[in-house]
Amino acid sequence: MSLLQLSGPVILDIPTDPASLFLVRGVVERLAQRMDYPPEDVNRMVLAVDEACTNVIRHAYANSPDKRIVITFTAHEDRLEIGIRDFGIPADPDGFAPRDLQEIKPGGLGLHFIRSAMDEVTYDIPADGGMLLRLVKYRTHREDPRK
Amino acid sequence: MKIEVARRNARVFVMSLEGELDMSNSPDVRNALLPLFKDEPTHIVVDLSRVPYVDSSGIATFVEGLQLSRKNNVRFTLAGATPTVEAVFDLAYLKNVFEMVPSLEGLFEGEGKA
Repeated sequence: MSLLQLSGPVILDIPTDPASLFLVRGVVERLAQRMDYPPEDVNRMVLAVDEACTNVIRHAYANSPDKRIVITFTAHEDRLEIGIRDFGIPADPDGFAPRDLQEIKPGGLGLHFIRSAMDEVTYDIPADGGMLLRLVKYRTHREDPRK
Repeated sequence: MKIEVARRNARVFVMSLEGELDMSNSPDVRNALLPLFKDEPTHIVVDLSRVPYVDSSGIATFVEGLQLSRKNNVRFTLAGATPTVEAVFDLAYLKNVFEMVPSLEGLFEGEGKA
């Protein structure tokens, strides 16, 4: 039985104002704690979702503060699924690559943090525009079935 | 984010931060940190003991500071990072790139006082 039983997903609709990011972090942290993820995983999941929203604000909306991001949290028995939906400029997911970590330079770490934290990171381009990033973290780590 | 800069002596600065460091305030930290290098410092310390969270934009700000410190031959130290913040540096493979010390205690021995 899941440690957290909710009758439906939690949906957070925030403005693309960086000052709202603390709210997203708070929801991720409380949900992940209630689902009994280890503290290290909780911290990494918080960071991953924060970085994903930061990327949306920067790249999909070019730092425009008056757009929206809709974040959907679905707690399953074995995993937490997080959908991050924007309505901005879609990018080519094939072009997303974390930077070479041997280089000491500012920037480019966000995607590395996201991929390090989450078990699944997938992108969809919905027909009505924007992008949907889907992040999944299993409560007990599972190997990526694609490997 | 509360940002305070204290001059320990003519060429040693301590920047103290308080609050979560993210995209909303890392430009403020950057704008406070980078000009310090114009005052010909010998040592700049960032006190992170009251920073419970840092994201990649915060890390990027400190990397810029590190690059300027190397260019200008300035000692650049991050002090008092909480375990959560230290873990982010570790995840970025940057923990051993910075001089990171547990606290300000004993850090200025031999550097004189104001």
